[in-house]
Amino acid sequence: MRARLSPLLAAGLLLALAIAAPAQAQVNTQSEEQERTQGAGAGDTANAPVLPAGGPFRALDLYPPRNFGYLLGDAIRHEIEIALDPAYHIEPASLPRARALTYWLNLQNVRLEDLGIREGTRRYRLWLDYQTFYAPLEPKRLEIPALTLTASDGIRSTDAKVPAWSFVMTPLREVAGSASGEALRLRSDIAPANVPTRRLVTATIGAAGVALLALAALAAQFGWGPFRRMRARPFAAALRAIRRAGPELDSSSTSSDSPVYRDALLALHRALDATAGRRVLAEDLPGFLDDHPDYRPAAPELETLFAASRRLFFAADAGSAGTLLAPKAVPGLARRLSAIERTAA
Amino acid sequence: MQTQSVASPAAGSLAPSTTGPQPGTSLLANPLLATWRERALAFEREVGKAVLGQERVIRLITIATFARGHVLLEGDVGVGKTTLLRAVARAIGGSFSRIEGTIDLMPADLVYHAHLGEDGKPRIDPGPLLKQAGDLSIFFFNEINRARPQVHSLLLRLMAERTVSAFNRDYFFPHLQVFADRNRVEREETFELPAAARDRFLMEIAVDMPAQADARRRLIFDPRFHDIDALMEEVREGVLDPTQLDTVARAIQTGVTASPVLETYVTALWDAVRDPAGHGIDIPGVEMDRLVMGGASPRGMSYLVRAARVRAWLDGRDMVVPEDIRAVFPEVMAHRIFLDPVYELRRDALVAELIAGVFATVPAP
Repeated sequence: MRARLSPLLAAGLLLALAIAAPAQAQVNTQSEEQERTQGAGAGDTANAPVLPAGGPFRALDLYPPRNFGYLLGDAIRHEIEIALDPAYHIEPASLPRARALTYWLNLQNVRLEDLGIREGTRRYRLWLDYQTFYAPLEPKRLEIPALTLTASDGIRSTDAKVPAWSFVMTPLREVAGSASGEALRLRSDIAPANVPTRRLVTATIGAAGVALLALAALAAQFGWGPFRRMRARPFAAALRAIRRAGPELDSSSTSSDSPVYRDALLALHRALDATAGRRVLAEDLPGFLDDHPDYRPAAPELETLFAASRRLFFAADAGSAGTLLAPKAVPGLARRLSAIERTAA
Repeated sequence: MQTQSVASPAAGSLAPSTTGPQPGTSLLANPLLATWRERALAFEREVGKAVLGQERVIRLITIATFARGHVLLEGDVGVGKTTLLRAVARAIGGSFSRIEGTIDLMPADLVYHAHLGEDGKPRIDPGPLLKQAGDLSIFFFNEINRARPQVHSLLLRLMAERTVSAFNRDYFFPHLQVFADRNRVEREETFELPAAARDRFLMEIAVDMPAQADARRRLIFDPRFHDIDALMEEVREGVLDPTQLDTVARAIQTGVTASPVLETYVTALWDAVRDPAGHGIDIPGVEMDRLVMGGASPRGMSYLVRAARVRAWLDGRDMVVPEDIRAVFPEVMAHRIFLDPVYELRRDALVAELIAGVFATVPAP
């Protein structure tokens, strides 16, 4: 539990520090400005840092880049290595803030890396990213001002100065341009490179194909569009079923209590149900004919069908059912209804 | 609902033009059923004299009478429930008794009549229920939902067993048929009937306004319908003989057959009502797998077939067809289906849709 808490505590502490740091930095800004003006006044000093003797600073090394050949807008990175007594640490508030230092110089970024304690020395590395916007008319020496860092052990604190650094900036072009001004003529744009899209196109076409197939499957399932006619022919399906049942029905010897006759009547009932979209009972026949007037010519046959199926299914009287609607007449009735269905659709 | 003459019992427009044995011949062969069918149709005509535009309700009451079932009428105030019941009682004949449900009515008030005699002494005489003793053929219960649950439970026994205990002995009412009515407008000072009592009613019939404009006009302007007592005089008394109704009812139940295919159909209907989701019945905006909590008791299903047989007989058939089941299903079954409480408030509409869905889904034959 405690082990789990300690990183949390450390993080909390860091957070508090981070919140405190900018506030302190603001306070220190003024003194820093003073330092800088002093540094500038001191003139072109060497890169050697000014270290208070006997202080906690054991080393403060500035590693600047080349000090010539800079143009308008160039970035300059200073890397500073700091060695301290292990008891001391760099006061974060003493670090410069990223801001516009002068009208031509911006401090873009400040980063301090704690390298930890090695061989009895605490080491830091500090990066300062400057950007110059000076537009010289001729090569000109400029100076990045000095800055002061503070080391503290919690009670005492000591300052050390990072020296000013000077460099030479060069104009981009001559002051008086050549007469024709050809050098400044805009060049045509670089032709854009082709982005490789073959794979994307292939994938798109493939996905579209899959989507179309899925749509087709869905349409078949729900009976949309071209599949509608296929679905909407229940009597054709009934006729097929009755034909499958075979020539048995056609032969005059088939009696009306055979299962083939039963199945044939059931197939016709199911086709009627499917056409109406609900179950059609004998009493519903007039309503069915009102909804589907195409079947009106077959009304007497349909009445016979219902009368026969009533006798067969509900009176268990296959004999009179067969008399009403002979088994061999069933395929004919199915053909008749299927023909009506085709013309109606 | 049209009445048909016995001469062409095969269902009207569905009669095949081909020759062959006419369906229903065996019914005509049984003279008891044939003559009683005539009397049943005459009964409907007599009641129809007093009540306009309620042919379906009259047909259902006829079915209930010949199925020997009790009936609960439900409807708005002033649609003629009481008039209808008085006409029915008069046409059936036999003695009848009537009581109004009130909040302070207790079971003893039905059974006993407590009063002061001429000599000034308190007397206990038989109450409205016992007055006619065994001859009682019709018992009216007006506004049944105003009576307390104690009364309902007395009624429970009266309806189920046709007996009542009083004066230290059991009274038996062999020909009793209970008619009750309640209006569905008022809810104050009413008691909902317990499910067990409702299950004892064969039918719950909703009485609505007459649909035809002509009937409505006549009900409003024809002075004949304003004097209820005079109207009752027009109804011929005792068209049916209540003492014989039991015999006829038994003959109907044995004389009208239900085929195995119909048995399968009714069983499938039962399954579909209890599990509509499993049968693909869908009502928009309703979770079908929680809609029906239960109900549709086996007693309800047996009542259903009983009523369907009577309807087939009234149509002049000797067999039950799915149409018979469908015609009596809402009245016999709707009040036996228990819905999830969430849907209870929309009960009427949902049960009607459920029943329509069941009949549109279950295949017949």
